Amino acid sequence: MDMLAQQIVNGLSAGMAYALVALGLTLIFGILHVINFAHGEFFMLGGFVAVLAAKWLGLPYLFSLPLAVAVVGAAAWGVDRIAVRSLVQRRDGLSDVLLSTYAFSLLLYHGTLGIWGPAPARVEGFEGSFDLGPVTLTNQRLFILAFGAALIAGLQVMLTRTRFGRQMRAMAQSRFAAQVVGIDVAGIGTRAYVLAAAVAALAGAMLAPVILFSPLMGSNTVIKAFVVVVLGGMGSVAGAVVCGIGLGVLEALMSLYLSEGIASAVIYSLLIAMLLVRPQGLFGKAA
Amino acid sequence: MPLGASKIAAGCALAALALPYAITSPYYSGLLVYAAVLAMLATSVNMVYGYLGFVTFGQAAFFGLGAYTAGLLTVKLGISYWVAAPLAMLPGAALGALVGFASLRLGGAYFAIASLTAAEVLRLLAANWVDFTRGPLGVLVPAAPLPFQELLGLSMAQAYLAVVLLALLAVVFALHRLMASPYGRAWLAIRESQNLAESLGIETTRFRVVNVALAGAVAALAGVLLVPKIFVITPDLFGPTFSATGLLAVILGGRGTLLGPLVGGAIFAVLPEVLRFVDEIRIAIFAVLLLVVVRTLPGGLMSLVKNRRTARAYDQVDAPEAALAPPQTPAPDVRRAGNPAPLLEVSNISKAFRGLQAMRGLSFTLAQGEVLGLIGPNGAGKTTCLNLISGFITPDEGSVRFAGNDIGGSRPSVIARSGLVRTFQQTTLFADLTVRHNVLIATHLAATEWFASALLATSSYAKREAHRAALAAKVLATAGLAHRADDKAGSLPYGEQRLLAIALALAAQPRLLLLDEPAAGLNHTEAMQLVALLHKLRDQGLSILIIDHNLKMMMAVSDRIVVLHHGEKLAEGPPAEVRAHPEVIQAYLGGRKVESGEPATEARHAPA
Repeated sequence: MDMLAQQIVNGLSAGMAYALVALGLTLIFGILHVINFAHGEFFMLGGFVAVLAAKWLGLPYLFSLPLAVAVVGAAAWGVDRIAVRSLVQRRDGLSDVLLSTYAFSLLLYHGTLGIWGPAPARVEGFEGSFDLGPVTLTNQRLFILAFGAALIAGLQVMLTRTRFGRQMRAMAQSRFAAQVVGIDVAGIGTRAYVLAAAVAALAGAMLAPVILFSPLMGSNTVIKAFVVVVLGGMGSVAGAVVCGIGLGVLEALMSLYLSEGIASAVIYSLLIAMLLVRPQGLFGKAA
Repeated sequence: MPLGASKIAAGCALAALALPYAITSPYYSGLLVYAAVLAMLATSVNMVYGYLGFVTFGQAAFFGLGAYTAGLLTVKLGISYWVAAPLAMLPGAALGALVGFASLRLGGAYFAIASLTAAEVLRLLAANWVDFTRGPLGVLVPAAPLPFQELLGLSMAQAYLAVVLLALLAVVFALHRLMASPYGRAWLAIRESQNLAESLGIETTRFRVVNVALAGAVAALAGVLLVPKIFVITPDLFGPTFSATGLLAVILGGRGTLLGPLVGGAIFAVLPEVLRFVDEIRIAIFAVLLLVVVRTLPGGLMSLVKNRRTARAYDQVDAPEAALAPPQTPAPDVRRAGNPAPLLEVSNISKAFRGLQAMRGLSFTLAQGEVLGLIGPNGAGKTTCLNLISGFITPDEGSVRFAGNDIGGSRPSVIARSGLVRTFQQTTLFADLTVRHNVLIATHLAATEWFASALLATSSYAKREAHRAALAAKVLATAGLAHRADDKAGSLPYGEQRLLAIALALAAQPRLLLLDEPAAGLNHTEAMQLVALLHKLRDQGLSILIIDHNLKMMMAVSDRIVVLHHGEKLAEGPPAEVRAHPEVIQAYLGGRKVESGEPATEARHAPA
């Protein structure tokens, strides 16, 4: 029983990372109607910045978070300029952006590999832990949960209460109509893309101390984030959050009984089964 | 064209046999094999993505399944690899049929993710079922010499290359044949518009399942053929790398073209090797090249080859005059002959959308050869009525009988097959295809086609194709669009697009034609053209149910008019009678609603 509770708590923090990565994917899909193949690499880069901040610059962990946002945000701005912004409006925008962001995911992954090599790296996060009854929670995991929840709440407020949020939601409804009423759709698209990348980078920087940084962590996570996005319903923010955290917990629980590979296979099979029963996802609206 | 294609194929086959003699280095023959395998994988992706319009992220599921089946059959059962190879396509086809069936409910991005997930499940199974697959260590498949290689004086690597090239050629040639057949046309129709395809009698389910199953078999074959090159079959074959390579090769080469995937696949195989001299950064250079191509050539590399023949290849069928079918429509004098059983009988149908009762207890009939007009203010339920009759929505209550059969709740394609064909309010066309290709697609119902006869291009198949082509030519002439046959449908002026939409329905050889606002948006000249066409069809004895807001036209072409208001029948009768009906005038011009006394809000919807 204690073991179970411990796994649930551990799964929550992994799930928070899935949720944040999926949130960005679903945001980009909802607003720009394209799939961002490079999104996992933004997550990985966030972790990588945390590694470099500690190992090369000797900065305390907390400073690596804004640094990750700045570096990855700048990178995402560049990716958007070259690979997304001018391609989304094409007739075959979906496939063109798929291809161009795939090219960037190769560049980012192999660039990291070239700088760092394939070896995993340890990042020191917040030290210490405390006990909650039978469950031990490290401070880093607590930080992930608290900061992640704050991020999600902040995004929610931004989407519903701010001018930028309303413009994004207008674009999600209809790019054309948004343009007609005078919204700078290309600019809003860029800001949304950079925002999503920054959230993924934060998730990467937060999770790196828990899971060990590796250049592969982007591609490993992005598949699961895809699963989360589809489970939650494409473009649904609540769906991405609930399903992301749910997936993390489910994985942690299943790891008690099954090997990691089989556990993933079971989860993916469940996904396919659910898609057949409820194709619009758990939180999507019926077609 | 088929003859030309056969000649080209024969030439290529000779080249595929000759080429291995010239390549003695195992490195180069191995590279060519790899290029051909990726080209085949890309071709299978192109079938699903380029021709059917479903993005697939998981084509490696079939690819790996083929390799594993062939390898395990060889290792576990001791079957010769070359015997196991064709058998190994079967699980790929079966999984494809399953995925194709699942795609009934999964469109767009969902299909992409579901296919990616299916591949992941298989990869994880292969990696974790260690007793059976040796897990990540992989299945070791011993080299299998080909029986004929010594006879031909070829080394094993050379013979293997010949087999792979011939297999690729066979796949491409077969696909070329299919694309020029009703199968290929049905796929393109589904890609362009699922609803239009259904309305023309194309059973979208069946053709989707066939497509994905065939693509699964092709991808499996690609996986099978990779085995002698790699010796060890590992779970990576199911991995996202191969899925992505297949998809990206198609996008790079040009989706929906026959040769694009071959070019793309070859580039993905060769370029990283060519760039080996810059070892460290070769992937980076490859990525940059990809970016350049995608930014500068949106249609893929094949868009560089501006060959009008390729663009038109699939709509060219010889149509000798002799093949012209006799008119399928009944003689005109059937019309108004007494009062036989009605052709269409709508009884008491109702339909509610959530809370909104769009249709309540509507009944009317339509006699053989009659032109029935359905009018009513906006929101009266006219289009709902048409959707209910043509099977696009199912009535909550009531029945629809057509030619004596109950068709309520049948699929649109089944209803179309029985002779009831509709058009759409929005101009729905296959915009990227030529006018002739559009109409050829619409001749789908003219004759049932078997897969094998299309593939083998039998003489009876050629006859049926000629019949379809003649029918298409006849329909184009009827609609006055013959001079537009080689133009892209999307490039026609609006009025001609509306006429083409009717031509498509006519090519399905209906007994009853349902027209949904055919005159909407037409200028006066175009409307006159439309009226002339309707009169012509009426004189040929075609039964027509027509909805439109152009009351002048409706009064001119209709034998009888039914007026709908708030989902109910308000009046029915000859045009003159209906025009004078007080309730009709009130519904159109506003004022108080007669029965309920509630103020009518429809006045502003009155047609202009």
